[in-house]
Amino acid sequence: MLTDSIPKALSPLNLEKVAPGEYAKTGYHLEVTAKPEQMPAVAQAMLKEGCFLESFTAVHTSREAFTLVYHFANFYELCRTAVRATLPEGAEAPTISHVFPAADWYEREVYDLFGIKFAGHPNLKRLLLPEDAEIHPLRKEFAAEGETKAEAPK
Amino acid sequence: MDLLTHLGIEGVRMIVGLIAVIALVSVNALFLIWMERKVSAHMQLRPGPMEVGWHGAIQTIADAVKLMGKELITPEEVDRPIYYLAPIVVFLPVLLTFLVIPFSQTMIIKDMNVGIVLILAFSTLTVLAILMAGWASNNKYSVFGAIRSVAQNIAYEIPLLVTVMSIILMVGSFKLTDIVTAQGRYWFILVQPLAFILYIICATAETNRTPFDLPEAESELVAGFHTEYSGMRFALFFLAEYTNMFIVSAVAAVLFLGGWRGPILPGVVWFLIKVYALIFLIMWFRWTFPRVRFDQLVTFAWKILIPLSFVNLLLTALALKIF
Amino acid sequence: MITSGIEEKTFVLNLGPQHPSTHGVLRVLLEMDGEYIASAEPVIGYGHRAHEHMAENRNYHQFLPNMGRVDYLHALAFNHGYCMAVEKLIGVTVPERAEFIRVITNELNRITSHLLWFGAYLMDLGAFTPFLYCFDDREHILDLLDRITGSRLTYCFFRFGGVPKDIDDDFISGVRTFIKRLRSRWVDYHNLVTKNVIFIHRAKGVGVFTKEQCQLYGITGPSLRGSGIPYDIRKSEPYSAYPLFDFEIPIGDNGDIYDRYIVRLREMEQSCRIIEQALNKLPNGPIMAEKVPKRLKPAAGEVYQAVETARGEFGTYIVSNGDIKPYRIKLRVPSFSNLSLMVESFKDNLVADVVAILGSIDVVIPEIDR
Repeated sequence: MLTDSIPKALSPLNLEKVAPGEYAKTGYHLEVTAKPEQMPAVAQAMLKEGCFLESFTAVHTSREAFTLVYHFANFYELCRTAVRATLPEGAEAPTISHVFPAADWYEREVYDLFGIKFAGHPNLKRLLLPEDAEIHPLRKEFAAEGETKAEAPK
Repeated sequence: MDLLTHLGIEGVRMIVGLIAVIALVSVNALFLIWMERKVSAHMQLRPGPMEVGWHGAIQTIADAVKLMGKELITPEEVDRPIYYLAPIVVFLPVLLTFLVIPFSQTMIIKDMNVGIVLILAFSTLTVLAILMAGWASNNKYSVFGAIRSVAQNIAYEIPLLVTVMSIILMVGSFKLTDIVTAQGRYWFILVQPLAFILYIICATAETNRTPFDLPEAESELVAGFHTEYSGMRFALFFLAEYTNMFIVSAVAAVLFLGGWRGPILPGVVWFLIKVYALIFLIMWFRWTFPRVRFDQLVTFAWKILIPLSFVNLLLTALALKIF
Repeated sequence: MITSGIEEKTFVLNLGPQHPSTHGVLRVLLEMDGEYIASAEPVIGYGHRAHEHMAENRNYHQFLPNMGRVDYLHALAFNHGYCMAVEKLIGVTVPERAEFIRVITNELNRITSHLLWFGAYLMDLGAFTPFLYCFDDREHILDLLDRITGSRLTYCFFRFGGVPKDIDDDFISGVRTFIKRLRSRWVDYHNLVTKNVIFIHRAKGVGVFTKEQCQLYGITGPSLRGSGIPYDIRKSEPYSAYPLFDFEIPIGDNGDIYDRYIVRLREMEQSCRIIEQALNKLPNGPIMAEKVPKRLKPAAGEVYQAVETARGEFGTYIVSNGDIKPYRIKLRVPSFSNLSLMVESFKDNLVADVVAILGSIDVVIPEIDR
C-alpha cells in the first residue's frame, strides 16, 4: 500500500511532517511538509515508489515567504501526495527537473509568474510571458486596482 | 509541292493548332477546377460552389478575374530573373506537348515520329521550373518544397518511362497515332494491367497530386515551392498542374485505353470521355488518401515501382518473343 | 538548446506560430540536419490570458465561465472539475439526477473533442475528407448540447451544487438517435482511415512514448493509455456518477501514433456506452442541491480535484482563505505535461513526422497558456 510505503521511503529524510490527509475533504492521501533543500531527495524517493509529478506550483503566502506545492500521484494505485515547502523571499529553490523532466516546464512557469529561481535548472527562461517582460504577475503585489490585499490562510 | 508551300501550310497548321491548344488549355483548366471543387465537395458531403452560374459553373471565371486583378508582389530578396521565369518555364513545355496528342483520327497538330518521346521529355522540364521557383524564392520552406519535388519527380520518372517502353515494345513505333491504330482488336489495358496501374501511380506522382503532393503540402510547409508566388504567377503554376493532369491522362488514354477508338460517337468525344474519366480517378485519389511521408515515397519508387516496371518490361519482351 | 546555426551541418527552421498544423499558437524552433531534427525548442505563451490571476480577482461564481475558455474543446469537463473542487470546499453534495446529467453532457463533449481531433489530425496528414465527416457528426451533438446548455462550444453549464437546467424527453430521444447513428459511422471511419495502408505506414512505429517517459514527464490521457498504462481517473479515482457505469479503458501496446489513434476511437465507443447506461438509469429528483449560498465564503483550506478530460488529467488546486475570492487557483492542465515530452520525442525524426507526432498528442495550446 502506497500510503504505507511512501512514509517509509520518506522517513530517512527526516522531513518536518509526513501525515495522512483527509481525502474526502482535500483530495490528498498524504500530506508532507519538507524544506526546499530536501526536495530533490524527496523527488528521488517518490520516483522510486513509481509516482509521477502531477503538478507543481507556488503560493505567495506572505510578504516574506512562498509555499512550493508539489503534487505526486501514481498510475497504478490511488495515492495523492502533497508536498509543501516554505521558501523565504529571495531564496533559490533547488530544481527537481533532473529527477522528473516534467518539472522543467513547471519550474519555468513558477519562475515566470512568481520570480522564484531554481538552482540547477538547465534552461530557466520565462515560459508564458514574453522573454523580456519585467513583472512576475502572480505575486500578491500585483493585485488588481482597488482590491485589498488578501492574506493567506493559516 | 515545293518547300515554301509546304512550310506555309505547315506553318498555318501550327499556328491554328497552337491557338486551338491555348483555347483548349484555358477551357480545360476552367472546367477541371470546377470539376475538382464539385468532386471534392460531393465526396465530403457538401454541395461545393453553387452561387455563381448553374451549380457554380462560372465560379472559376470569377476566381480567374480576381487573380488577374491581384497585385503582383515580388518579395525583395528573390533572385529576380529566375523568379520571373519559373512560372513561364513550368507552363510552356506543357503547352508544347499538345502538338502530338491525337484527339481523333485527323485532329492532331503534328504527328511526329518521336511523339511519345517528345511528351516525356517536355514533361520533365516542369522539374526544372519547380527547382527554379523554390530556389529563387529565397525562403527555406520553398527550397524544401523544391528539393522534395525534384527527388520525387526523378524517382517516379523512371518507372514511368519503363512502363511506357513496354507498350512501345508491343507497338514498335513512337508515333502516337500508330499506338492507337495498334489497339484495333483490343485495348492495351487488357494485356498490360500492371503497366496501367504503374503508369497511373507514376502519373499521380509526376503531377504532384495527393498522395504524392509533398512539394505543395499545405499543412506542413505552408505551400511549398510556390509559397512566395501570388496573383497571376500563382495562377500559372495552378494552370500548369491541371494541364499536366490532362496530358498524363491523355497519354494514358492513348497508350492503354485505345485513344479515340469507340463505337457510334465521334473519336474526339470518346477521347475526351476517356481522358476525363482518368482525371476523375486522379481526383478521387486526392480526396481519399492521406499524404505519403517523403522517405516512404522515395523508398516506394526505388524499391518497389522500378523493379516492378522492369519485370513488366521483361515479361512483355518475353511474351512478344514467344507469341 | 538551439545554437545560432553557425555549424554548417544544421539550420534552424521555424514552425509557427502561424501554421496550419500546430493546433493553436505554438512556435517550435527546429534545428534540422537535412530532413532530420537535431533538436526542437518549443516556445509557448502566445495565448496567455492570465486565468489564474483572474481567479484571484473574482469570486467563485464569477470565475466559472473562465473554465470553458481554458480548454474550449472539452469545456464541460473543466466545468466539472472546478465545480467539484468548490463543492468539496463548501461541503455540498450534488443530487443524483444532476450527477447523471453531468456525466451525460460530459461524455457527449468528450465525443465532440475526439471527433474534432480525428478530423483535424487526418487533415494534417493530408487526408481532407474525414474532417468533414467528423464535423457532420459533431454538428448533431452541438445541436443537442445547445438546446440544454445554451452554447455550442465554450460551455458554462454546471453550477455549484448541480446543473441549472433539466434535460427533457426531446434531448433524451435525440441523444439515443445520435448514438445509433454514430455507431454506424465507425465502419466508415475504419474503412476510410484505420485500414488505409498509407496511414498505417505513417502511424505505426512512429512517435513511440515509452512507459518510463510517461512516468518522468507526467503524461496522462490517451497519450498515456496508448503506451499501455491503464490510468483513467474515471476508473482510478472515480468521481461523480462514474462508479455506477460499466465501461472499459482502452489501452494500446506500443505507444506509437497508431495506438493513440485507436485508443481515442475506442474511447468514443466507450463514451457511447456510458451515455446509454446513464440514460437508461436516469433517476428522478432535484437537479440542484439545497442551500447553496449565493455568495460563497468557503472555509479556509486547500483542495485538489482531478477529472479526466479528453486530453488527460485536469486538476484544480484551490487555496481558500475564507474570503469570497479564492486566494490561489492552480489549473493543472494535461497538455502542459504532454507537450513537454515533445522535445525528446522529436529528436531524430523527420519533419513530416513532427507534424504527425504533434497532432497525435492532441494538444490544445490555450489550455497550456491559460
